[in-house]
Amino acid sequence: MDFLTTYIALAEIYVLLGLSTNLLVGIVGIFSVSQAAVFGVGAYLTAFLLMHSSTPFPLAILLSAALCILLNIIVTLPSLRVSGDYFVVTSFGIQLLATAVFTNWTGGTGGANGLPGVPAPILFGHEFIEPTEFMLLSTIGMALGCLCFWLIMRAPFGALLRAIREDELAVAALGKSVLRAKVSAAALAGAFAGSAGGLYATFLSFIDPSSFDLDASILLLTMVVVGGARTLAGSVIGPFVLLALPQILALIDIPTTIAAAARQLIYGLLLIVFMLFRPQGLLGEKL
Amino acid sequence: MLWLNLLLNGIVWGCALGMVAVSFSLIFATTRFFHVAHAAVYGLGGYITWSALKHGLPEWAALVVGVAVCAAVGAAIQKLLYERLDRSGATHLVILIASLGLSAVMQNGVAAIYTSNILQFGLPWGNRTTTIGGALLTNTQLLTVVFGLASYAGAMWFAHRTVLGKRMRAVASNPFLAEITRLQPRQVHVAVMAIGSAMVCIPGVLVPLDLGLQPFGGVPILLTATIAVIAGGVGSITGAFLLAVVIAVLQNLSLLIMPGEWSIGITFGIFVIFMLFRPRGLFSS
Repeated sequence: MDFLTTYIALAEIYVLLGLSTNLLVGIVGIFSVSQAAVFGVGAYLTAFLLMHSSTPFPLAILLSAALCILLNIIVTLPSLRVSGDYFVVTSFGIQLLATAVFTNWTGGTGGANGLPGVPAPILFGHEFIEPTEFMLLSTIGMALGCLCFWLIMRAPFGALLRAIREDELAVAALGKSVLRAKVSAAALAGAFAGSAGGLYATFLSFIDPSSFDLDASILLLTMVVVGGARTLAGSVIGPFVLLALPQILALIDIPTTIAAAARQLIYGLLLIVFMLFRPQGLLGEKL
Repeated sequence: MLWLNLLLNGIVWGCALGMVAVSFSLIFATTRFFHVAHAAVYGLGGYITWSALKHGLPEWAALVVGVAVCAAVGAAIQKLLYERLDRSGATHLVILIASLGLSAVMQNGVAAIYTSNILQFGLPWGNRTTTIGGALLTNTQLLTVVFGLASYAGAMWFAHRTVLGKRMRAVASNPFLAEITRLQPRQVHVAVMAIGSAMVCIPGVLVPLDLGLQPFGGVPILLTATIAVIAGGVGSITGAFLLAVVIAVLQNLSLLIMPGEWSIGITFGIFVIFMLFRPRGLFSS
């Protein structure tokens, strides 16, 4: 039972992250491979606040979200100046830089050993320590994220974001502010990633740099691509499918030494196969 | 004398990086696909050469095997993956995601076969030293400089003096015109991918001679090389090579004032400065 609830809670956290990635990569067309870095900053800040100060849990999540909003705007800003392929370099660079900070800033992040013993979230005097209890929190988080995403996609703002992806110049020519729209989208994606980070840290009570590295960013991208880019349903189904995969792999007899490599190899293979034969993913629109 | 050693190390490292940058520049300027899997080809070259050595081939033959395999792999990637995607009208985003996937497949495939532990070449001649002007250089380092300069000269000769090179530059500067004048861009793309992949095998072998083989070492190196390509001006071979040396020297000299873990910050800082003040690069036409 715990096994299933843990899986669901984790998948729900990744849905929030998937929404963040989908918003940038799928909707606005900013190719970002650094969402795991933003996610990590959210996780580390929440962990730090809960361990070293008496900040209540909701405030810690809010502060993490706020910092990630700011960070994601800064990270995405270069995409206004450099287009397409150049931004990929920026994004890769930010991801590697973030990994360097997570691994080497031992004072704040515990370095490669990570931060153990992040306290469980406390809300209205109740400690959400069991996975079944925590699932309540992550479900609320996911529902809020999905609602937000759904409302935006229906609103004129959603149409504006999609238009920017198709033809930035035309949007500018219509007198719309591309800058403001991109910054708002980046802020929203940052809020999703930051709060997902806070939930992740308090749920697992242990975080280390390996959860927020380039492989993690590729996993996120795989989730969005396999689920289906550009749609809400795609972002929801992707994490559930991809997180079930390691469990299925565990049934096959693979030596533990190559299990991690095999898993990552399969994620890569999924990316190629989907791009070749089904670029719209399971429940998405064509990229 | 510390700074002199760091400077020399920087130049040596810059020659290795320069080969990666020049090879990536050839591919990127011609195909316009952001070939992330180039990092994995770089890694593959080292491992293939290592295997050939362990099967008893002499050093030069092992290198030839590595280069040939990389060239074939590069051509196959273009033919079987990028060209297919391109024909089906895929956007650059789709090709990029596929390339990222391929990179993950190749690197983790290598890790699964050879384990992710560091493998050493264990060639005794590589560590023997020569003194040049008061500084110690190992044979591996000398070889890196020789191969680096030769690769740069070779790439310049290829691009400007051969028919294929001229076709390549024509395709790079105007794909549509190249298509209607029967320069057959798709063939050129395959050839350039093969040449670029062959070239990247050389630093893929020389760098691990000193540091050992690691399956995931290619990504930061490719990123640094890409920054050199962009800062040098896309399409300029000289720019790519020169900027690679400059970045490598700055990375090494930065060790005087800060620990090595942060050198990615220096590289990235250079990129940001270029993006702000000269996004087209130094040597762009």
